[in-house]
Amino acid sequence: MRRLRLIGAILALALLAASCGDDGSDEPVSQPAEPAAEGPSAEPETAAEEPAEEPAPAAEPEPAAEPETAAEEPADEEPAAESEPAAEEPAAEDPRRGGTLVIALSDDPGHFNPGITTGFNVHAVTGSIFNGLVELDDNANPHPDLAESWDVSDDSTQYTFHLAQGVRWHDGEPLTSADVKFTFENVLLDYHSRTRGGLSGILESIDTPDATTVVFNFTQPYAALLQRLNSTEAPILPKHIYEGVDDVQTADANLTPVGTGPFKLESYDIDNEITLVRNDDYFKAGLPYLDRVVMRVIPDQNTQVLALEEGEVDYIWRVPGGDIERLGSDDSITLHNINSGPGGGFCIPTLTFNSDREVFSDLRVRQAIAHAVNRDQLVAQVLFGQGRVATGPINSQMAFAYSDDVTSYPYDVDRATALLDEAGYASGGTRFSIDLLVFSFGVFPKYAEVMRQNLAEVGIDVVVTPLDRSAFIPRVFGERDFDTNIISYCNNTDPSIGVARMYISSNIGDIPFSNGAAYINPAIDVLFDEAASTPDVARRGELYAEIQRILTAELPYLWLVETQFTAGSGANVQGLQANSGHVAETAYFEE
Amino acid sequence: MVRYTVRRLLQAVPLVFGAAVVTWILIHAAPGDPIVALAGEDGDAGYYAMMRERFGLDRPLHEQLFVYLGRLAQGDLGFSYRQNRSAVSVILDQLPATLLLMVPALAVASVIGISVGTLAAARKNSALDNTARTATLLGHAVPVFWLSQVLLLLFALRFDWFPVQGRSDARAGYEGFRALLDVGHHMVLPIAALVTVYVPPIMRVTRAAVIENLDEMYIRAARARGQSRRRVLIRHALPNAMLPIVTVIGSQIGFMFAGSVLVETVFAWPGLGRLLLSAILARDFAIITAMLLMLSVTIILMNLITDLVYSLLDPRVRHGT
Repeated sequence: MRRLRLIGAILALALLAASCGDDGSDEPVSQPAEPAAEGPSAEPETAAEEPAEEPAPAAEPEPAAEPETAAEEPADEEPAAESEPAAEEPAAEDPRRGGTLVIALSDDPGHFNPGITTGFNVHAVTGSIFNGLVELDDNANPHPDLAESWDVSDDSTQYTFHLAQGVRWHDGEPLTSADVKFTFENVLLDYHSRTRGGLSGILESIDTPDATTVVFNFTQPYAALLQRLNSTEAPILPKHIYEGVDDVQTADANLTPVGTGPFKLESYDIDNEITLVRNDDYFKAGLPYLDRVVMRVIPDQNTQVLALEEGEVDYIWRVPGGDIERLGSDDSITLHNINSGPGGGFCIPTLTFNSDREVFSDLRVRQAIAHAVNRDQLVAQVLFGQGRVATGPINSQMAFAYSDDVTSYPYDVDRATALLDEAGYASGGTRFSIDLLVFSFGVFPKYAEVMRQNLAEVGIDVVVTPLDRSAFIPRVFGERDFDTNIISYCNNTDPSIGVARMYISSNIGDIPFSNGAAYINPAIDVLFDEAASTPDVARRGELYAEIQRILTAELPYLWLVETQFTAGSGANVQGLQANSGHVAETAYFEE
Repeated sequence: MVRYTVRRLLQAVPLVFGAAVVTWILIHAAPGDPIVALAGEDGDAGYYAMMRERFGLDRPLHEQLFVYLGRLAQGDLGFSYRQNRSAVSVILDQLPATLLLMVPALAVASVIGISVGTLAAARKNSALDNTARTATLLGHAVPVFWLSQVLLLLFALRFDWFPVQGRSDARAGYEGFRALLDVGHHMVLPIAALVTVYVPPIMRVTRAAVIENLDEMYIRAARARGQSRRRVLIRHALPNAMLPIVTVIGSQIGFMFAGSVLVETVFAWPGLGRLLLSAILARDFAIITAMLLMLSVTIILMNLITDLVYSLLDPRVRHGT
């Protein structure tokens, strides 16, 4: 009898475990997963400059333009290649040195090898331990990091990087061009999903003519390389540690990282905290200012906010929409509006129409849905104003590529009704029923709830199906068993990285966050190809404008809103690089 | 007694094995794919194929099961791809933090539950009894994550008596006795939340069992011999009521291995509950199966220990020959 009870208990528990992904008890726990999943990409971009460095890139393809963003943060409110407060202030009045900065992390990273993953929590930590060749600013403009300058051949097939002098690994070994070559050839091109996906087909070779020069040779012109070389996309790892390791993915070295970055790992207490200490030999003179950075794992977002209010932590990556107003009026807290960061950059939560479904083969149905969804309501009620209505596939903050010369779909119930009538779906009662798959955490179910009400008004019955992330992805991209779904697609640092994947016909299939609509248009394939291999920024802009014109007319997806993230820090902390992997590099406590 | 114990332990082997198979199948039957948690986002098809092959995810399920059972037989509970090391070492790392929270919470709850339950039984239907019963009901009904947040808002934010999160102050870096005090300070609120979860069942069972015993003839006999009410209650009724109470407490200990997902999450306490949850969300199969397996072993052991404790508490219960 007792044994029966026991078996029952085990069964019940196993069932609980198997189903617990999306049950109610998930609620307080699930939110922390949001940053990572919100952007199906994890990517810090930004670079505040280091005081000591004179940015002297001889780079041509500076795909960018005036920052339009309203970043409130001192470290990124200035035009890219110019000087920065973070760089100037220290010179004028030396920031206070010392102190421990506590940063809340929503989940345990598991390891510290940024070359084998795009995961948010790994990069949130390793961004302070490792460097890339360049860092990117708010608008994805490259700035020197390990490479102090670079030259690009006229046809954009060859990039030559000159490494900074005197860079040493945390164990004292010097950094050389061989480390860069090794990192790409033995780690990134094999195991870093985005770098592998983006470069492995077109990168011909990496040459190292001398210890501080690295040359990337491409088989075809490639314009977006500099946007792929920051500490998230291409962190440089030590060859002398990883050479000869059997298996890079399970190497012991992944738990004892040796980087070049501003901080070194001191201790790692799983699921609790990661302690980093100042790298006294950091190659950027005078940096960092802090003695220590502690990353404290706090899974619950409400707890993160309370801890920030109580001063137990100094920085949280995401402030939930509902808390923004309250924290904004608190003098002891500074909010940072950011478009990017390790959680994903320039993101657009997007409704995917499954083109395999009969009902969506009619453009009028897709247009009707576009008119019927009240996207202003999504911005106001779901995002608490932290975002904008999206106009198309490219985020308006990606200035060089964005175009507003597109077909737009304002909220218009009458127009939607007329289109559905025209398409032959009789009015009166329910015209047809579709399912809507969403992630079960964060704001996704809330988008779905608003849209269900919106679409009910025009006679479309929406069945909302929340799924946890690990169940959602195979159902959408593997089985293709859905009518519609909502995913937050992030443009990332260049449209060739974050946008093309959703539209090109070669990217349909069992690949997470790929062309889920199964949209096929040869003209679009050609345009994306051309845009990726065109060195001239203005010309690229024209090509992307054309792409936006075509896609908004054909409407394979409905781009809902452009999200903006809000980070929070204690008001006594200055110099944070909220958009960068190097979040604490220039941070300091005010007197 | 020894033979009985050995026999019970031997019987447990197929049971554990069965539990392993069942949990493995259930977990793999649930929808979900670890590939993104495993391999990252935005890879190409070749990359995901390579990763599936590497971790054996491309093989038929029954084959994966046999591989799992084969390794299990050698004592290998699997490799966590998220933590990049063996599942057992991850779990053992988290165990102390969980016990640090659960053991004191259960001890405090047992003392409160048994004493209040006994008192309530002795004064059945009194104001004390009614208050205690209402409080238990409330304790049962209030969701623990909500209660935890209320505790935080009140005692951390409003009164500022206790810290909000974690096991220690992240900034101070205390050492020695000061560090112990710091940990203790951080334990108070999560333990308070856990106690409200543990007390109700212990109290209700105690009350019911003591009331039942107080109706027995031997109590009347004891009273008739002139023993005081208090002595009868404590020396006779309560000891005889202990068996169901021990059962309840024992089962709570058994589940201790699962930690407390909600309390650990709200208070950012690094324990096994959180580990299990994040493993489930990422489909980190090795951690999930290893934890459930260790959990079932703990429950089996606790049942055995409970049975052995019976014989200590009640001389009439004798195991073996």
